[in-house]
Amino acid sequence: MTITRRGFSVALASGVAMPAVLRNALAQSNTLKIGMVLPVTGSAADSGKYALTGAKIALDRVNKAGGVLSRQVELVTEDDQTTNPGAVLAFSKLAAQPDIVAFIGSIRSTQNHAMAPDILKTAKPVCFGGTDPQLTKLGNPWLFRFRPNDSYSGRVIGAYGAETLAKKNWAIIHSTDAFGTSGGKALTEALGKFGAKVTIDQGYPNQSQDFTAVVLAIKQSGADVIGSYFTFENDLGIFARQLRQLGVTVPWVGSPSITTATAIKLAGPALYGTFGVADYAEESSPEAKEFAALYRKAASTEPDNFGSWTYDALNVLCAAINKAGSTDPNKIRDAILATKGYKGAEGEYNFDQYGDGLHGYNIVRNEKGKIVFDKHIEFND
Amino acid sequence: MSLVLQLLFTGIGIGAVYALVALGFVLIFRATNVVNFAQGEFSMVAAFLMVVCAVDLELPYWLSFLIALGGMALLGMLFNLTVYYPLRHRSFLPVIISTIGASIFLANTTLAIYGPQPQVLPGWFDTPGFQVGPVYLDSQYLLIIAVTIVLVAFQYWFFEHTLLGKKLQATSQDKEMASLLGIPVARMIMITFIYSALIGGIAGILVAPILFVSIQMGSTIALKAFAATIIGGFGDVAGAIIGGISLGIIETFGAAYISVPYKDGFAFFVLILFLIFRPQGIFGERVAEKA
Repeated sequence: MTITRRGFSVALASGVAMPAVLRNALAQSNTLKIGMVLPVTGSAADSGKYALTGAKIALDRVNKAGGVLSRQVELVTEDDQTTNPGAVLAFSKLAAQPDIVAFIGSIRSTQNHAMAPDILKTAKPVCFGGTDPQLTKLGNPWLFRFRPNDSYSGRVIGAYGAETLAKKNWAIIHSTDAFGTSGGKALTEALGKFGAKVTIDQGYPNQSQDFTAVVLAIKQSGADVIGSYFTFENDLGIFARQLRQLGVTVPWVGSPSITTATAIKLAGPALYGTFGVADYAEESSPEAKEFAALYRKAASTEPDNFGSWTYDALNVLCAAINKAGSTDPNKIRDAILATKGYKGAEGEYNFDQYGDGLHGYNIVRNEKGKIVFDKHIEFND
Repeated sequence: MSLVLQLLFTGIGIGAVYALVALGFVLIFRATNVVNFAQGEFSMVAAFLMVVCAVDLELPYWLSFLIALGGMALLGMLFNLTVYYPLRHRSFLPVIISTIGASIFLANTTLAIYGPQPQVLPGWFDTPGFQVGPVYLDSQYLLIIAVTIVLVAFQYWFFEHTLLGKKLQATSQDKEMASLLGIPVARMIMITFIYSALIGGIAGILVAPILFVSIQMGSTIALKAFAATIIGGFGDVAGAIIGGISLGIIETFGAAYISVPYKDGFAFFVLILFLIFRPQGIFGERVAEKA
């Protein structure tokens, strides 16, 4: 046998490359990969950090308990830059990796809408946290929601303000993005059923630097209660401060962003005494308390819904893959939909046919900067 | 009436912030003929320096302010040496791209060092504001308006009545002629960069207690300030101030009387009107006259 120069080069190259190829192949067979789209840069980068912390805590638990299908689970992350094009790009980068079996999507409804067509094409389960009710009604079988949707938050805000607080003249303020618009609509619908009226319905664009005009309009409208759907905490913080400065003191029931650690830090005393619907409330259940303890050990910030939903999503997803006994997307899908009575940090998961896991909200209030659990309101539909 | 006064006060306050950032744009444009797209990031970096000194290290506010300004002077210097100076003989396009790159670099470096959480910077005064008749005056906005007036007066005196100011003006008008007359052009440009980094920094520190300190705070303000610069007339100091303040007022009144969701739209609608009907801005000279 003669050794040609070309043959020698090929043999040498393969010899050098072999360990890496083998290591790759072994790693692929050893770990089970879950993709995660999250904001690392852009205006919601802080929430991305909390989401990753929550996911990692769950991952740690799952792996310590023996992993999934006797394999360790690995998280592969991509930055969505807090933009829709960024989210689409991040998802397609992850979707191009054939060994990723399922995904954690975004907490922003608008980004899930943007990714939805690609998710349908990829045909693998995506657990997400956006609360626009439409997302699970798109006819896309691969979307599973791990937070209660806004048809519930609207009803809970409405019920608490109109019945418990007995306020009938509402000012609604909401972001003009997909989340804020659908939330404002859900609240308006709910208020109609409670016999309350909307005196002013005011949308605002995200990253507004000034809310003077909005606050003065609320003041003039004669509203005796405010219902809000803020997407970003810095907007909420600026609004809250200006509201108090311009002398508006009526009760305020907000969507979950009013209860997050960032909002409480930014707005400070301006949020004292406000109410919020929160999918995550530490005092609401033993599971929520357990998550809080784990979260405080892992991070220096207070636990909130940004971390709790990814924690629940990974736990439920891993349990579902184990139950399915395979990484076949259809089997995982069936196993997620069959999840009933799972007690997570956010509440009890009972998946319905649409892929909605949670069907109720907690009402909490801000007592001098501390979030205090008031009650949980659960719905049967 | 009280509504109008309240809106006017807020409009002038927010407009003064745009004006301060616009001033930085104008100074660099006059000296180098390029737009510095990292001007907004100067504000952001200064605000973060303030948070590090005043909040994290708990230094006195005035000392933190001086340290932050020192940091900004250094940043202005480095910015000139790395972003502008190597490209100074090229056309304006590579320099503009270079400032855009620097802006992304500054934003992401701050993100990597400080993390993504928005921060709270307390204001200069313990009293958040006063009620004067029907109008609430936010003390931070009052400070911003006062500082803007002082800086404009200082700038007028500096450019019109000092030798250094005149040298800077000569450099901005004709670099070759200035250097023939013995003016050290490179040093003049260095001073301009340091000065505009300082002004951008002051704007950032002043607005931080109102808008919070976040990575993207600079870009939101800079976009409006850029519009203000065009409305005022690119390269004109008085134009930048008038442009900034009118933009603040238009925006606030537009939001109150026309539509809140289209608030940002008004600023850019006015910008487009100016670009079509008066591209040289309020105070700008006609290009033909200049030639």
